[in-house]
Amino acid sequence: MKIKRILSLVLAIALMAVVFVGCDKGTDTEGSDNTATVEVEKNAKLKVWGPAASLDLLKRQAKAFEDEHKDKNVKIEVVAQEENDAGTQLLNDASAAADVFAFASDQILKLTLAKALLPVYKQYEEDIKANHTEAAVETVKSDYEGTEVLYAFPETDNGYYLVYDKSVVSDEDAKSLEGVLEACKKAGRQFIMDAGNGYYSCMFTFTGGMELDGLEGEAQDTQKFNNYNEDDVVASMKAFADLFKKYKGTFSAASVDKISAGFLLKDRTCAAGIDGTWNAALDAEALGDDYGVVKLPTININGEDKDIIGMIGYKYIGVNAQTKYKNASMAFASYITDAECQKQRFDELGWTPTHKDVKVTESAGTQAMLDEAKTFVVQANILQAFWDPMANLGTQLYKDGAKTDEASLKTLLEKTVANING
Amino acid sequence: MIKSYKLRRNLSNALVYAILAIMGLIWISPLVWMVLHSLRAEGGSAVPYLMPETFSFKNYIELFTDTSLLNFPRWFLNTFVVACFSCVISTLSVLMVSYSFSRLRFKARKPLINIGMIIGMFPGFMTMIAIYYLLKAMGLTQTLPALVICYSAGAGIGFQISKGFFDTIPRALDEAATIDGATKNQIFWKIILPMSKPIVVYTVLTSFIGPWTDFILVRIIMGDARDNYTVSVGLQLMVSQQYISKYFTRFLAGSTVVAIPITLLFLKMQNYYVEGVTAGGVKG
Repeated sequence: MKIKRILSLVLAIALMAVVFVGCDKGTDTEGSDNTATVEVEKNAKLKVWGPAASLDLLKRQAKAFEDEHKDKNVKIEVVAQEENDAGTQLLNDASAAADVFAFASDQILKLTLAKALLPVYKQYEEDIKANHTEAAVETVKSDYEGTEVLYAFPETDNGYYLVYDKSVVSDEDAKSLEGVLEACKKAGRQFIMDAGNGYYSCMFTFTGGMELDGLEGEAQDTQKFNNYNEDDVVASMKAFADLFKKYKGTFSAASVDKISAGFLLKDRTCAAGIDGTWNAALDAEALGDDYGVVKLPTININGEDKDIIGMIGYKYIGVNAQTKYKNASMAFASYITDAECQKQRFDELGWTPTHKDVKVTESAGTQAMLDEAKTFVVQANILQAFWDPMANLGTQLYKDGAKTDEASLKTLLEKTVANING
Repeated sequence: MIKSYKLRRNLSNALVYAILAIMGLIWISPLVWMVLHSLRAEGGSAVPYLMPETFSFKNYIELFTDTSLLNFPRWFLNTFVVACFSCVISTLSVLMVSYSFSRLRFKARKPLINIGMIIGMFPGFMTMIAIYYLLKAMGLTQTLPALVICYSAGAGIGFQISKGFFDTIPRALDEAATIDGATKNQIFWKIILPMSKPIVVYTVLTSFIGPWTDFILVRIIMGDARDNYTVSVGLQLMVSQQYISKYFTRFLAGSTVVAIPITLLFLKMQNYYVEGVTAGGVKG
């Protein structure tokens, strides 16, 4: 009887051991060779993740990189993996994930906290800081054991702008939110904006001058709204809420994919919307010559036209901290974010470059994003606690029977800030 | 109070049928919508009207021909192969386990039944991370055999229903067969199985449907190996942010197509099902 018990215990331990052998590697991720000179490893085999839509181009760029390092016999396998899910997939099992991968700014915080990203080597840092858009660089700065490091190579931006049907909304109308809504109403068509989603609804407060502290560097756990004038923010919220009320029936708080869907219908049901950059190709195809895109319009707050301020994010190329070929991965990540590769992506896919050497030509969408980048709040290290209260604030402004008097808006703002500040 | 019995009966029948019809309509409407819009020729994710304006088979054709970004035929084949293998293996294992527990008497029988019951009470996804690392240790992650193993290895634990069914078959039959010189093995194949067609059909169907509907396990095991996805993970990919606008109607077409193999199998099996129910029993 005793033998049996011991035997089963041994068996159980053996089983546990098998389980843990698998995850054992997780700890040795220190970037101690941060200062090592880059010598691409011989016979390096890299796996690269990129979104399916850009796969063809990425394969060609990988081929070019292989040719450039012919003497080292580098082999690159390009695998489709969407940017919005890359972080989750990587954290599921870093050792089975790609060595170099594309991801969006919403994941940078969880990736750095999990130490899943290999900090960029010093020799690339200077290049990134000198040549890429400041806002983009700012978002990847972080603190690693007391020294400032960059966590990824900026690739392109990721955000939203105003998309409109030029046959209904004139370029002049598109300059102000009032103009857009009026034009939509006249044509009996919808203006769509996902106002119940924190990513978009934050503009109701940001336009009023609200600022979120602690987005940069190590202060991630102290993200708070410290810096704002309550009256200004309430005035901005009220301006939006009043417009939503005035244009009830025209304004719709549907998700962004409904915008291109509305454009696609034979009798277009939608005339304008705040749409994501990732839908650009669809919108352009649906609207044809009527396709208009511009930075977010102004809104009239207490008789004064103010630029709407939203949130802008970036997409990055990161290097898996557990990669076997650190130097090759770094070299490749640097290669595909340099001016030449960014130019190719801009030409073929319409992705806005972050590299300042890439000349942007005749692209309204890109111009809109570059304009927005000047004023928008940069989406980096946004804590999870931000989104839901902000979404709630948006919902409270447009829902039926919304209380839009100043006192209720003030309470709403105070509650939201308290929830986010924790 | 209505006196006539006939009138009363008709009235109550009318009422009952009306309620049933309404419930039926409610139940079937999502499916009808799915099929209707899978035939919708105009693109876009969602439209504000119920009836598509133009119909065509474009979505179905593109689903199987345009495989550059999302390879649905491949996913369909993967699922089908996995479903076939795990269906055969798990049906056999469930029936054999049930037979042993129902007919054989051995010392560990009761404890094993209890252990099986208790393990069955834990939700399956609790062990998924462990399963992932075990498979990884064996070098099986991102492969289809891993799915077959996961779907069929633990199948025997779902023996309860089949065992209950076997218990209702009179032991007199076994005894008669034993007198005629049959072994326990022969009794299982030649006496019990032919009489248990309904439960065999039930087991086959449930184990065949499993791979078509399972999502979490495939998602964890397959990771970035898109060529080895099954339909559920693949279809979910179609409605993710980047694809939904272009692929929504194809997603509906795909969901409709998935129903085909399951329906075919059921129609084929149905004959046996009825036969099995009427053919059982002891004579004399």
